[in-house]
Amino acid sequence: MSHWIELNIGPVHPATHGIYRFRVKLNEETVEDVDITIGYLHRNAEKICELNYFVNNTIYFDRMDYIDAMNMELGYLRAVETLMDMEVPERAQWIRMIMAELSRIAARMVGIGALGLDVGMLTPFFHTFHEREKIQNIFVEASGGRQEVNYMSIGGVYQDFNDTIINEIKEFIAGFKGKLEEIVKMFTDSEIFWQRNVGTGVLEPDIALDYGVTGPMLRASGIPYDVRKDSPYLYYDKVNFDVPIAKSKDNMGRFLVKVEELRQSVRIIEQCLAKLPEGPYFNPKAKKSAMLLLKGQGDVFTRVESESGEFGVFIRGDGNVKPYRVHARSPSFKNLAVVPIMAKGSLIADLIITIASVDAVAGEVDR
Amino acid sequence: MYKILSEETDKSGMKVLNIDKSDLVELMEDYKNRRYYLSSITGVDMKDHIDVIYHIHNFDKNDYLCVKVSTSDEKVPSITKLWKAAIVDEREQYDLMGIVFEGHENLRRILLPDEWVGHPLRKDYDLNKVQYISMDRDGNEHVSFDDKEGW
Amino acid sequence: MKTGDMGVKTTTLEKALEWGRSNSLWPLTMGLACCAIEMMATQAADVDVARFGSEIFRNSPRQSDLMIVAGTTTKRMAPRVKRIYEEMPYPKYVIAMGVCVIQGGPYVDGYSVVLGVDRVIPVDVYVPGCPPSPQALTYGLITLQKKIRNETDR
Ligand code: SF4
Repeated sequence: MSHWIELNIGPVHPATHGIYRFRVKLNEETVEDVDITIGYLHRNAEKICELNYFVNNTIYFDRMDYIDAMNMELGYLRAVETLMDMEVPERAQWIRMIMAELSRIAARMVGIGALGLDVGMLTPFFHTFHEREKIQNIFVEASGGRQEVNYMSIGGVYQDFNDTIINEIKEFIAGFKGKLEEIVKMFTDSEIFWQRNVGTGVLEPDIALDYGVTGPMLRASGIPYDVRKDSPYLYYDKVNFDVPIAKSKDNMGRFLVKVEELRQSVRIIEQCLAKLPEGPYFNPKAKKSAMLLLKGQGDVFTRVESESGEFGVFIRGDGNVKPYRVHARSPSFKNLAVVPIMAKGSLIADLIITIASVDAVAGEVDR
Repeated sequence: MYKILSEETDKSGMKVLNIDKSDLVELMEDYKNRRYYLSSITGVDMKDHIDVIYHIHNFDKNDYLCVKVSTSDEKVPSITKLWKAAIVDEREQYDLMGIVFEGHENLRRILLPDEWVGHPLRKDYDLNKVQYISMDRDGNEHVSFDDKEGW
Repeated sequence: MKTGDMGVKTTTLEKALEWGRSNSLWPLTMGLACCAIEMMATQAADVDVARFGSEIFRNSPRQSDLMIVAGTTTKRMAPRVKRIYEEMPYPKYVIAMGVCVIQGGPYVDGYSVVLGVDRVIPVDVYVPGCPPSPQALTYGLITLQKKIRNETDR
């Protein structure tokens, strides 16, 4: 005879990675249905953006996917710069690329460390956060902020790279290559990690596309879609990197895709450092005294590849110094909606791993 | 057969199709059969009407397309039958913008509590009228305008 | 505290209790937003809050005596924060981490953010910053320890 239980997880629960509430309908140990309640971190960023000048809004985008702040800024600024027809100098573009990739590494370090915690491995957490700390030191050197950096601004970046920063990045990259393999080995050497990840949380490609899933989750389902490759922004078309996919469609596939992307990020940064040209680091049209007067008119929708997927920003300007409407297409919002399907029929313990592998960030889901 | 009212290119170089809202489902179905997928739904309050903007995407050709409809009575047909991604998107737009998607099976608020008054992203939403939320023992949320009841 | 002839220390019971209490504060993981990641960094190897006796971040309010509210408290979350606070056993302390929790921070203009968690629960130590660095949070913790021991910063 089957026995129904309704189990409540969250909003404040270590396994939810942010504040969501999962109401799980259990048939003994098996998950029948998951009802996700979100909105506990709804901070009305879109409304506040309408009240502010264009330049001021980067800070709200920083705080959307708060572990991957650089890519969020980039997403917003791409839209704003397209709207204003603002050129970005070459050097600034390369600098942005380096920072975006560093930020992606930092974000993945949090995600992988937290995944380790969820399968009961405490050790990788300390290693990943140690690496993240090094990246944050680079950010401090460049922008003054550790996590919510607010480094890029319209028409360029806040501050030029000096030799200290470049050396620090080189040093970090040199150390990180070996360290990454060490961290990955910690996971892949563990029999428990394989057993809990292989075959759980399977996501079929049709369902993923239907639900609008993007990012590592889509690639782990076998579809090689990456905004950086398919519609390149910055200079992603001038560097070599591969888009990894996984055939297994499960949690292990997602983990391996994420790890491989880290290796590719390292590759990109190395090429960027080699190609970094001299020149101005911001467009004089957007100098400090003129910043508040920048106006935009029309509609734009641009996308970047953030840590969790395709991050799109829609802006409508009415020719004013403030945007008329800002909307963010946040990848985590869509990725999270597919959890009930992935978890259906699995054990309750596997649900936790599935949630961890989605890597949703509450700030971006609720905005 | 649907009719495209006008076609334009927006600032980011994306093709924009302006259509009437009665043609929406038909057009979307056509594009769905051409392997397009829904990327995002955005509502824009233009004071006398609301623009609803759909971004759809073909992964094979990497083609992005923007479909615009405008509505003066807040009602738009739902496209949840075509793409499941629309379920959360339409709920979000209903919550924040107050667009009623006709045919959506579960059109409730998603980010704010059910009892919230007004739709915050509307231009006429009054930010000075502060609402407060409290919770009873069973976890149900209640909204009031009185700062004694809730936070 | 006095040292006697034979190396025996005498103190009052309260002082001993306060000393013990202040050096083994077990924080509750109340990570709500961006600041939570910096709270995790505080726990990690580089800053290592374990040096001050707070290494064990408990996930259950029943087992902890310090609540670090890290991240924006929205109106929807406030009743839940309060309920979790009520579930903690006495004596209990609260650190408000980040400007969001202190007065609303960048979201002060909005409609869904509580302007300061001190409207919901009593706060002992405020740690400003957006987000505060792990060092700042550690300083906040030390300040709280001094407060528990009735010492003052002079
Ligand atoms: S204080 Fe800043 S970093 Fe902390 S939760 Fe608020 S916005 Fe995020």
